[in-house]
Amino acid sequence: MSGNIVTLTDNNFDSFIEENPLVLVDCWAPWCKPCHMLAPILEELADELVGKAAIGKLNVDENPGISYRFNISAIPTMLVFKNGVMQEPLVGVRPKEDIKKYLQSKM
Amino acid sequence: MSYDVAIVGMGAAGLQAAISSSRKKARTVVLGRPEDSALYGAEVENYFGVPRTSGKELLRTGMEQAESFGAELRQEDVIEMSKSEGGFKLLSDMGTEIEAKALIVASGIMRKKLNIPGEKELFGKGVSYCASCDCNFYKGKPVAVIGAGSEAAVSAELMTHYASKVYWVAAELDASEGLREKALKAGAELVSSPPKEIGGDDKVSRLTLEDGSELEVNGVFIELGARSTTDMAMDLGVMPTPEGEIKVDKDFSAGVEGVYACGDITGKPWQVAKAAGEGGVAGERAAKYARGL
Repeated sequence: MSGNIVTLTDNNFDSFIEENPLVLVDCWAPWCKPCHMLAPILEELADELVGKAAIGKLNVDENPGISYRFNISAIPTMLVFKNGVMQEPLVGVRPKEDIKKYLQSKM
Repeated sequence: MSYDVAIVGMGAAGLQAAISSSRKKARTVVLGRPEDSALYGAEVENYFGVPRTSGKELLRTGMEQAESFGAELRQEDVIEMSKSEGGFKLLSDMGTEIEAKALIVASGIMRKKLNIPGEKELFGKGVSYCASCDCNFYKGKPVAVIGAGSEAAVSAELMTHYASKVYWVAAELDASEGLREKALKAGAELVSSPPKEIGGDDKVSRLTLEDGSELEVNGVFIELGARSTTDMAMDLGVMPTPEGEIKVDKDFSAGVEGVYACGDITGKPWQVAKAAGEGGVAGERAAKYARGL
């Protein structure tokens, strides 16, 4: 995994959102095949957007608290926060350019 | 049953691959249903050397040609793919097990969306296209699974292990009897009226049917057609693009030794000429690979 992706849990989620002005959190699970399709795309984006957007991964299976709080009912779901405020999430696998454009529109 | 080359998909790409492969003396089997090919309902007038004709007619002729060169055609859906010692192992919805040294994925692009009101608006809020991804979020809740084929049958059965109630919405079932029985025995309730609208404020709360009745559900799983081949190909290590396409090299290899892809699944343009051209090359390369040439 890219060194620029942070592994999030129910415990460090809030501080990650507070500390970074623009955040994307990939909510995933090991059994979800589309999640594996998304993983390499997010690794590339994490490297390309260093200093502009912070990218984290949250295993919904191991961290039910956050999944419940944000009403996640499909994976992969990408939660996006700008200055701590939740934006419209991205649901499902998306092409790299779409995710990048969406994040850039929030910068 | 053991073959040199197994082809998944009975459209233009798959049948041309079968013609090329069997002409190269490879023992070839094709799995799929011609009526699932995008060509089946099409009129063709832009294919070299063939005056305006129906897709159905092209497929019928192509099937006869493939068989005349020795290819075996099995009108069955593949529901599982795995690697085996000698290459690959496939399981069909009729329970047939196939072993092959090389595999060609020529299954086309499946229609995934129903295009009914509420589907787009509530995607990720109760509407899902992947039961195996999202089943866990519906523990103890009522859900509907929409679709008539093998993918819906497998998903309906899966959801009975999680949901409090599973409605299987299918106007005309075309899943195999084995899969159908498994889902119904597990407790899925068959509903035969077509879906009309998915409703709910910020979450799915109901599914309205054409006959006017309403199902109270928290989840709607849309699982049309046969089980997605791109999904199964991932079990072999093939990584599709977010658009569901499989990227290939000039030999139509899908990036995993012995696995080839051709036709609509490799990307646009979705035309017979491209599908047949790619199938011809993929069939020849797969036959050579399987025969160690």
